[in-house]
Amino acid sequence: MTARRVLYVSGVLVLCAWVLVPIYLIALGGLGGRLGVFRWPKEFLPTGASVDAMLTFLQIEGVWNAAKNSVIAAGLTMVFSVVLGAPAGYALARFAFRGQDAYRLLVLLTRAFPLAILALPLTVTFIRVGLYDTPLGVALVHTALALPFAVLVSASLFMGIPREYEEAAWVFGCSGPGAFLRIVLPLALPGLAATCIFAFVISWNEVFAASLLTVRERTLTAYLLAVLAESPPHFRYAGGLLLVVPSVVFIFAVRKYLFSLWGITNR
Amino acid sequence: MRTNLRRLLPAALLGGAAMLAGGGAIAQDTVFLSTQLRPVEEATKMRQIILRDAPGRVTYVVDEPAPMTTRMQAELQGGSRTVSVVGAAHGELLPLMDFDGLEPVGDLAARLADRGIPAPLMESAKLGKDAPRYIPWMQATYIMVADKRALAHLPAGADVNALTYAQLAQWGRNLQERTGRRLIGFPGGPTGLMNRFFQGFLYPSYTGGLVTTFRSAEAEAMWADFKALWATVNPSSTSYNFMQEPLMGEEVWVAFDHVARVIEALRTAPDRFVTFPAPAGPKGRGYMAVVAGLGIVKGAPNRAGAEALIEYMTRPATQVRVAAEFGFFPVVKAQLPADLAPGVKLAAEGVDKTQTARDALVSLLPIGLGARGGEFNKVFIDTFTRIVIRNEPIRAVLDAEAQNLRAIMTATNAPCWAPDPASTGACPVN
Repeated sequence: MTARRVLYVSGVLVLCAWVLVPIYLIALGGLGGRLGVFRWPKEFLPTGASVDAMLTFLQIEGVWNAAKNSVIAAGLTMVFSVVLGAPAGYALARFAFRGQDAYRLLVLLTRAFPLAILALPLTVTFIRVGLYDTPLGVALVHTALALPFAVLVSASLFMGIPREYEEAAWVFGCSGPGAFLRIVLPLALPGLAATCIFAFVISWNEVFAASLLTVRERTLTAYLLAVLAESPPHFRYAGGLLLVVPSVVFIFAVRKYLFSLWGITNR
Repeated sequence: MRTNLRRLLPAALLGGAAMLAGGGAIAQDTVFLSTQLRPVEEATKMRQIILRDAPGRVTYVVDEPAPMTTRMQAELQGGSRTVSVVGAAHGELLPLMDFDGLEPVGDLAARLADRGIPAPLMESAKLGKDAPRYIPWMQATYIMVADKRALAHLPAGADVNALTYAQLAQWGRNLQERTGRRLIGFPGGPTGLMNRFFQGFLYPSYTGGLVTTFRSAEAEAMWADFKALWATVNPSSTSYNFMQEPLMGEEVWVAFDHVARVIEALRTAPDRFVTFPAPAGPKGRGYMAVVAGLGIVKGAPNRAGAEALIEYMTRPATQVRVAAEFGFFPVVKAQLPADLAPGVKLAAEGVDKTQTARDALVSLLPIGLGARGGEFNKVFIDTFTRIVIRNEPIRAVLDAEAQNLRAIMTATNAPCWAPDPASTGACPVN
């Protein structure tokens, strides 16, 4: 093996370990039972591994309803932020208009505003409108949080797609929207996928609004994970492990688009 | 991605619509919002064991204290109620009276009169009004737990059930010299209840007060003593939230914590541990009583269900079960059964020894601080961090933090609570 090859392989190994070792340690903690967490040195393989802590989670009353709410809220957030964010991003990228820079900054302000101050008036308004205690209400707040990312990411995305492609499509008989759908959108899809992931993850992890705006219809994070900090360590590890899984599955599902976004195609 | 989106969109929209339509389907249940018994295991037991036999359908939801207050206020202002019963510590129910959020429950209290809830508890349940605003639910306190192996290293002549802080410090030194490890533990983690140790145990024991004596000479001596004690305390104490795991994992042999946060250790290995009251200082054996109550929310959507639930929760049989599961003890006249699990019996003994100690000096949870309770706690944690961890001069820190404490007391205008002497107007920081 050449030195170059050794370097390459060891680099790959280090990067894999970088990601896998923490996940492995979380798994050990989650599967080792109440006392396994305190054992040191750690055994390489969890002897007497028990899935009790994991099962406890899955058997908690209402946990499936909460998981369903989480998926609905995250799904809606994803849809809303792309549907609202992508056109805004397209406008920022393609049209010059007065106050464009100010708009860019203003969009970010929703992130700068502390949600805690809004808590009471927001909840009161949601109750009056009838959105209180619904996943749709949670999704709307999460969309507000995710939208700045969606707008700015998709703006830079559309800026990267040459205007000439669109003009060529018009020349060959495409209408305006047709050119967008047939030419721009396919090129932008990988980036939009990344936007989706952002939106999904923001909604999936958000606790404050989700727990304040719901009582019965809580999201998984609000229902369970908000109280994890007060639970014994093996529960925290088990919860962490369970929480990692959906994100990994989701990212695995869209990996193709992510890779092409980063310029590595067809993997 | 396009196909994925196409598949996801209708599903998500359908789901959302279904949730909207289905919202009213379970209107008949009683929503029970609690700031107690929050952790996963406890909430699960509450749902699956305690509330299983409750009358009607009960939905048990947990909130942290601050969001609970916000939610109560929002539901009152928004004019639509979901929560019927709120269960919380005395000090957490008090802020709800700022917006008159709890129904008077005088008639319910009269019906439950034969349960034998102690008169002082019923009196404080009035929250300063004429009629009680909640029904006492359960009580607890903080105890010390020690591994039996640690007892061999007690200083000469010390009785573990009548320990002083000086003896605890000596005990820690003995343990460190003979085992080479720092084996005393405190719950000083981010969600640990260390602040209560300062407020209800250390300060009253040394100074006989809390707010009024915050920067007294006695307090100065107290912090010097505690700093010396800390040298024998396991340094991981600043990351422990519950002491039961470090006790079980043998990281510490002697620990202080809320009964409900050591109960799992006592239950798992009752033969390994002893329980005893917290140490005494020059002014007595300070301890903090924790009382949680059940209130009916103003305009509760299910008042009948709420009353039935409270009636159920205060039945002696339910109270005994709660004690057996969580280590929170009955407020009603209930005989803990002789065949109580040995771990729970240990916890009960610890609580009993604490409450009946000859030199016991009871203090209450902070009263009247409302939303600023967190800042109040922070004063004590900051004082501890600056003096003990960062080694800053004691007098300077006490004077600086006294300013913060005074600001909180003035802003909330909270009068003194036990063990500070009663005050007219805001409790003074002398």
